[in-house]
Amino acid sequence: MSLCYSYTPNYFSIEDILVTQERIPSKFLVNVPKLGKLNPSAEENDIKQGTALDLPFWLADPLSFARHPLISIELPRVYKEAYREILKADATAVDLHKLGLYFYELGLYVKRLDPRREVEAILLHTFRSRFKELMDFADDVVCDPVKQNRLDMFERTLFQKAHFSRMQLKSWLNNSEMRLEAATMVINHKKRKRIDVDDLF
Amino acid sequence: MNPEEVEFLGEKQLISIIPTFNSSTIHLVSGDIGPFRASLPVNVPLWVAVNLKQQRKCKIQPPDWMDVEQLELLKEAEKASRNFVKMPSEHYMIEGKLLLSIATDDIARADEVRTIIKDIWDIRMAKLRSSVNTLITGKSYGNVDNLTIMEINSMRPLIPHAMDQIHRMKMERPRFSTPSQSTSLGLLNSSTVISTFK
Amino acid sequence: MYGESACSLVKELDRNRGTLPPYNNELIGEVEKEICHLIQQNVADDFKAHEDSNVGAGLDYTATIRTRHAIIQRNLRCLLAYHYNRLRCLRTMRWEFGSILPPDIKVNLSHAESNWFSKYSSMLATYMRSIGDDGGVNLTIDLNPPKALYIEVKCLVDYGQYELSDGSLVLLKESNRYFLPRAECEDLIRQGVFQHIIN
Repeated sequence: MSLCYSYTPNYFSIEDILVTQERIPSKFLVNVPKLGKLNPSAEENDIKQGTALDLPFWLADPLSFARHPLISIELPRVYKEAYREILKADATAVDLHKLGLYFYELGLYVKRLDPRREVEAILLHTFRSRFKELMDFADDVVCDPVKQNRLDMFERTLFQKAHFSRMQLKSWLNNSEMRLEAATMVINHKKRKRIDVDDLF
Repeated sequence: MNPEEVEFLGEKQLISIIPTFNSSTIHLVSGDIGPFRASLPVNVPLWVAVNLKQQRKCKIQPPDWMDVEQLELLKEAEKASRNFVKMPSEHYMIEGKLLLSIATDDIARADEVRTIIKDIWDIRMAKLRSSVNTLITGKSYGNVDNLTIMEINSMRPLIPHAMDQIHRMKMERPRFSTPSQSTSLGLLNSSTVISTFK
Repeated sequence: MYGESACSLVKELDRNRGTLPPYNNELIGEVEKEICHLIQQNVADDFKAHEDSNVGAGLDYTATIRTRHAIIQRNLRCLLAYHYNRLRCLRTMRWEFGSILPPDIKVNLSHAESNWFSKYSSMLATYMRSIGDDGGVNLTIDLNPPKALYIEVKCLVDYGQYELSDGSLVLLKESNRYFLPRAECEDLIRQGVFQHIIN
């Protein structure tokens, strides 16, 4: 049960469904009759050619990436030059969580919109320069929530897994025998129950 | 793997004990141990040694390297070298930890031995971390020669995950594609889909 | 917005990692309605486009149909992901809680999920019994390499009578300590009845 795989999205992946829910600037190239509902700010029945909307990526992607695209999409703001410059200057100083919950994952999807591959370069640069801090951070026994809040969702998962295994190693080094523990779900279930009971009083 | 699983691997290491009892050969799935003759040294797996020692049925003969002078030399070598020095045992940390927790009376200057082993571990861990950082930043290759299993395992799952992520970033189109639009205009057979949801 | 209810379903699972929220019949119904509605509209527009093209006039509905289709696909994906991830969680629960789930978790399952759980449970039991010739192997114990045959445990709840595998009965009382074979304790430790004591 402790088998642990790296993150690779699949059809059923909860993370990937949430990543593709992020919105991205889109512009309609053709008229789309009857689907005015897609544009919440207009009351019209149809969508006119030229309408600009922020569509969720799951919709924008199949409509733009086809032989006859219906829409054209644009890089989201945070992957554009201005932000790239900030990240290039010092990626460790940036609150990535604020830039986008799924900075890396959405970046992987949209990097194809930049044929000069600067988005790819900035993703790599950002990840690599922030890595050391993440590794050190995973070693701290007490995790500082402020630091954790500055990580994007991918970094967070990576951090949590690394932190867990570092703590296992620390406790192995310090204890003569390892304690058998209750299962994680059981512990959580008990905690939750306690909270429910507290609510009653 | 968690550290206990690595420890389990390390416990197969043979170690010499002096039993205080007599017994004929014991046949185990993993191989035979014994025969035991009181006060004649015999090699047994580490886990057997630990069990017998806990029952006060043997004295442990610590491995040669578990000696303050030798370990001091090793520590200096480790400090001086940029690379990892070869350890006298593939499972030095496990042997050290187990023996020093149950057999301090059989090991000369046990407290000093404990401290030096811990020092060596710390020096190597610091080296490992900077080596890993060079690897991830892509500046050069990571150096893993002469690392022991416990040390390599200490960087899991962080390193493999991070490397996989970097690989995904470098890939052309790291997405599993939704079925292409061109073929789907004929749609799924609409009536079957509707009936599925009735 | 289209696809909104479907995404709420998935978000619900995301918020409740490590546990199983109540099976959300209401939202699932909404998503199903949205899917059926979109399909019916597509079928109607497709039909109309055919008719119009025979006359040689009319609107081009290709864009509309394609867009609706993408929404249908998204809704399907969310529905399937919802059910699939719930089953994965349920499977883990079999290993963590054992074959009997706490009642407050049980009420959260759909009828089909309950059935699936009992089938999985009995399949696992049959499989474990079938390993080797010696009455099988309990795969749910010794998840970590064992160190000693007997361990000391403290009982955290008033559990009552507990039968050991040799047939003898032990009365388990809260905050009493026991010295028992590790194999007998491990399930109870995982279920939070015992706490493992280390000197």
